[in-house]
Amino acid sequence: MEAVGKGIFKTIQTALAAGALVLGGTAIRAEQAGERYIPTIWVDPDGCEHWVMDDGAEGYMTPHVRRDGTPVCRQGNLCGVMNSDQLFATDKSYIGPAGQQRLRKFFTEAGARGFVIAGHTDSRASDEYNMALSLRRANAVAGIAKSVGANVIGVRGYGERMPRATNATAAGMQQNRRVEIICVQ
Amino acid sequence: MTMTKGLVLLAAAAMLAACDQTPADKSVDYHWGGTQDLSDLRAGIWVDPNGCDHWIIDDGVEGYLSQRLDKFGKPVCSGVAEPNTAVGDFKGAAEIFDTL
Repeated sequence: MEAVGKGIFKTIQTALAAGALVLGGTAIRAEQAGERYIPTIWVDPDGCEHWVMDDGAEGYMTPHVRRDGTPVCRQGNLCGVMNSDQLFATDKSYIGPAGQQRLRKFFTEAGARGFVIAGHTDSRASDEYNMALSLRRANAVAGIAKSVGANVIGVRGYGERMPRATNATAAGMQQNRRVEIICVQ
Repeated sequence: MTMTKGLVLLAAAAMLAACDQTPADKSVDYHWGGTQDLSDLRAGIWVDPNGCDHWIIDDGVEGYLSQRLDKFGKPVCSGVAEPNTAVGDFKGAAEIFDTL
């Protein structure tokens, strides 16, 4: 049964490919033969890669990003990861006196030109709820940063969309509940 | 046409021909006076009209510009300088004075 199914699938694939060829002949051409332009990599002061080329007359450069749009970096300028469990109660975005003091100390001593603050959650509850919760928490941290005169250049909530560990285990979920701080020099 | 003009034209043609001969590997800057591996470039920061940072490099002949991104792929707008200004020591090449 499975083999027959595969056979039919293969036939459909072949038919589709033939159709694409006909299209290619009339209107759409998928790929053209081009001049070879092989780049090298330049690493910026943040540690992130860029494609760079020099064809003898002009120079070209563009960030090296993955297909999902995230840059390829050798070392990030992530300077702080705050465990949400230590700052917030479940589903809350209020930071208690001990957490506030810790954050004030962090932002006073970090010595960065600017800070990007990004909240993350684990994958329990809905995506929409987590997006909102992570942003509320990031804003709470940003408020404390601003209270000691830190230059906050970005506040984001990424919800459960950028996990750093698996959500299949309790330990992994705990790692995912976090507020990340990027120090920009 | 004088002899001098002819010589100048000939020299210019030879230079253009030399430019044509760079290989597919575009990772080296073949400028007059030597070569430089492009991975050695030194950057400054140009702040765009929206206040966001770009790496800017002038190696003496070529100029390069590329976005400064955070780890999530969003633009970094650090406030290092006013919009429409450039800061830092990004005019790296010593052997050629670039008037452009």
